[in-house]
Amino acid sequence: MTVLQFENVSKIFYTKTQQTTALQNLSFCVNKGEFVALVGPSGCGKTTILSLVCQLIQPTSGKVTLASPNGAVGYMLQKDGLFEWRTIEKNIRLGLEIQHKLTKENLDFASSLLRKYGLEEFKRHYPQQLSGGMRQRTALIRTLATNPELLLLDEPFSALDFQTRLEVCDDVYSIIKRENKTALLVTHDISEAISMADRIVVLTKRPARVLLQHETHLQKYKTPLERRESPTFAKQFELLHRVLEEAKS
Amino acid sequence: MKKTFSLEHKAFLKKQKMHTLFVHLSQVGVLALLLALWELLAHFEIIDSFITSSPSKIAKTLVELVGDGTLLYHAWVSTLETLAGFAIGTALGYAIAVVLWWNGFLKQVFEPYLIVLNSLPKIALGPLIIIWAGTGKMAIITMAVLISVVITTISMLNGFCETSAEKILLLRSLKASRRQIFAKVVAPSNVPTLMATLKINVGMAWIGSIMGEYLVSKEGLGYLLVYGSQVFRLDLVMTCTIVLCVLAGVMYAVVALLEKIVAKNYT
Repeated sequence: MTVLQFENVSKIFYTKTQQTTALQNLSFCVNKGEFVALVGPSGCGKTTILSLVCQLIQPTSGKVTLASPNGAVGYMLQKDGLFEWRTIEKNIRLGLEIQHKLTKENLDFASSLLRKYGLEEFKRHYPQQLSGGMRQRTALIRTLATNPELLLLDEPFSALDFQTRLEVCDDVYSIIKRENKTALLVTHDISEAISMADRIVVLTKRPARVLLQHETHLQKYKTPLERRESPTFAKQFELLHRVLEEAKS
Repeated sequence: MKKTFSLEHKAFLKKQKMHTLFVHLSQVGVLALLLALWELLAHFEIIDSFITSSPSKIAKTLVELVGDGTLLYHAWVSTLETLAGFAIGTALGYAIAVVLWWNGFLKQVFEPYLIVLNSLPKIALGPLIIIWAGTGKMAIITMAVLISVVITTISMLNGFCETSAEKILLLRSLKASRRQIFAKVVAPSNVPTLMATLKINVGMAWIGSIMGEYLVSKEGLGYLLVYGSQVFRLDLVMTCTIVLCVLAGVMYAVVALLEKIVAKNYT
């Protein structure tokens, strides 16, 4: 089953002095249970793609199909985007509040996530009392609480230092797999894409088209860290790096 | 929970404490020194205490005015007017800011008007206010409201518009309505802005009510000040000024305390 589909999507932005084609005939899809990464040179229109997925903007031509009843997705931001004035527990309920789904069942589900992922004892804490890794985990659980069809990860680790980044990456990956979620990761970090995704979609520079679709075949490894140590990792990195360099020129 | 500190840590804490104490003592000292100097200069007639008054005369006046209830009455009148102007000005300014945030078109239309109104010295509207609102309390409160409302609107609107775009994006991805975006992100993340505005408005409301009393009133501290200067009772003028300082200081302290309690988790 396809959770997300882009069919010949083009998007043109107009300003006073010029028009910019951000995407041109872009087609790709994300299947249920799949972990897909989008990589591309900076400024290639990744933000435009995310806004299209969230239906915050409409395509100029083509079609974006999202298999989600109300069009809501679980969006995980670059910075964790936690609300400083809410406790961890209340942060996690945010999505349910917005969608008027504060039923006992959903609240129990949110609490069970807190318990399962070791945040139970921090539920009355405020975000600033938590470490960067814990905050990112809270942010992920917040997106999971509404049980979305699709998770969007917008460079979710870019605000963390390298060491924490590897840990949080493992953490987020294992939670997503354990909860059987479909995910679309947007990143400019090739190694991060290889270490997490089943399939990598490489985009050209603006106007973005699909340059290459690459299967990582690393599903047998359990964690991103193990994937990084796999024998084919370096080769895949080299290949994608070369392709991206070409895409830039 | 029992905490044990090392000797060095204790020494450090003691040093910090001594420093704070020293600052407080110096603050009181500056005031004491000024008062003493003022009193001495007046006593030895180096300055003319008819024009400058003197601490002892002010103290005497204060006791008299408190004794016959005059001071309490006038201070109470001014405080009520100020509080009314403060509350109405803040609430109205906040409401206008919400409307302008809500409707981008209205914001664009009214922005230049806000700028003009902000630069306009509100005291210039005094004659108009007297004609429109009469010469009673209404005129004074209107003045206090006018002075605080524009600055409230401008600072709150700026705060609203600078709300983290990321957080708003997050809510929009959850399909939040504009009302929800305001209630869940924009309003809470601007609690610190509101607190800062309240602090500014303490001063604004006092300016408004005293100005208003200069213009129209027959009661209040502003009236006492004008009356005192007209009959050349500088003791009275000085006493009122000091009472005003105290009242405004107390009101500011209350708002600062409120900020400390409320804004703790909003940084």
